[in-house]
Amino acid sequence: MAAESGHFPDLPMLLATYDLSAFVSENWEELLDGLLNTLKVSGFAVAGAFVIGAVLGAARAHRIPVVSQLTAVYVEVIRNTPILVQIFMIFYALPQLGILLNQFTVAWLSVMIWGGAFNSENFRAGFEAVPHRYREAGYALGFGPRSTFLNVTLPIGGRIALPSSINTYISVVKNTSLMFVIGYAELTTTALNISALTLETLEALTVLGVVYLALVWTLSASIRLLESRLALPEAR
Amino acid sequence: MPDWVEPVARYILTEGLPGTLRVSSIAVVGSALIGVLFGTLMTIKFLPLQMLIRLYIEVFRGLPILVTVFIAFFGLPSISPRLEFDPLTAATIALVLWGSAQVAEATRGAVQSIPREQHEAASALGFGWAGRHGFVILPQALRRLLPPFVSLLVNIIQNSTLAQVIGGLDILEAGERQSERLTSFPPAGIGEIHAFEIFGGVMVLFFLISFPLTRLAARLEKRLA
Repeated sequence: MAAESGHFPDLPMLLATYDLSAFVSENWEELLDGLLNTLKVSGFAVAGAFVIGAVLGAARAHRIPVVSQLTAVYVEVIRNTPILVQIFMIFYALPQLGILLNQFTVAWLSVMIWGGAFNSENFRAGFEAVPHRYREAGYALGFGPRSTFLNVTLPIGGRIALPSSINTYISVVKNTSLMFVIGYAELTTTALNISALTLETLEALTVLGVVYLALVWTLSASIRLLESRLALPEAR
Repeated sequence: MPDWVEPVARYILTEGLPGTLRVSSIAVVGSALIGVLFGTLMTIKFLPLQMLIRLYIEVFRGLPILVTVFIAFFGLPSISPRLEFDPLTAATIALVLWGSAQVAEATRGAVQSIPREQHEAASALGFGWAGRHGFVILPQALRRLLPPFVSLLVNIIQNSTLAQVIGGLDILEAGERQSERLTSFPPAGIGEIHAFEIFGGVMVLFFLISFPLTRLAARLEKRLA
């Protein structure tokens, strides 16, 4: 074995030792757990980012005083600072103020806060793109401001915002890999920890690449599908 | 201001900031050059080439950048020992792979948005493919690429913090080292936790760099729209 002789393996030797199926069959339970944790964190974060985006996006689009300005500050801070630094703030700095969160909470909370900021911009743009006359029609039918929003602006604006918000959700899924830095056992952490023990670096990276690309490509294919199915009748 | 602040700030600005700037500037230039080249090549009607570049774009835009960083830092050396890089270089390589994929996609769109008459006029003047693209098409396409380039710069500066994960000395790693140092006992540290102030400061520093750039990108977009 090249690794035991103390020399770097050269390429033919490497190809001889590269064994993806052995890596997967020996570690599939751990890897599956990691993938499930990635999906769990992503699911929490995407659901949260949807709610934050819809609520704050509506506040921005309707220029609700104070909430609208605070949202603008939130969005600018999140957009203009690295998400890794945000994770460090939540994981390493908040305990200094007496706020101790476990790894799972930090994981979904940090990507949710990040995704929520981007999503409130997506929804703001979506709501602002709803033609004025639609809302006026709602008022003319006797709807109050709240039911006009829920029955007119949200369904139409939400559909306009759908492609860009799915793009944000895709980034949320990809960003869960950053939970490597806090040691939360999602897919990236799991695969790298296994490779640190077994030295099967290339196999671990192959698994990561294949799984993430499968996730991301599936989600972006769904955008194209949804775009054609949910397009507003006027836009067709 | 407490005594510990000055040496911490100095370390972050003299040791960390140059690392961030080095990674970001090389990554931006590399991404722009490779991305414009690939994006232009993609407009050639030659299917195998188009599919190859499409694959490159989809792979490096699809992977989490951290995974690409790990591929550059852990994956390449296990293919050949000659491909072993220090953390900052590995992070730069990963950012170029990601950034050039972004630029290639944008360039393809920009080049295709230049009207066919421009190609025909350039051909009529006797330009070949390279001259036509280098002197006529790309100068016009690059104008449309200006706002995405500024956004790319912001994204690359922010993502350069991924170097920290593999131990590269950038702003974030400098802050992390100082935050750790302060918690140890004298003479090295002061036995206190100041993570909140230090990472807060790092956040402010990134905000001061990014915010003007995102404003600029928005302005350019409006002007060139």
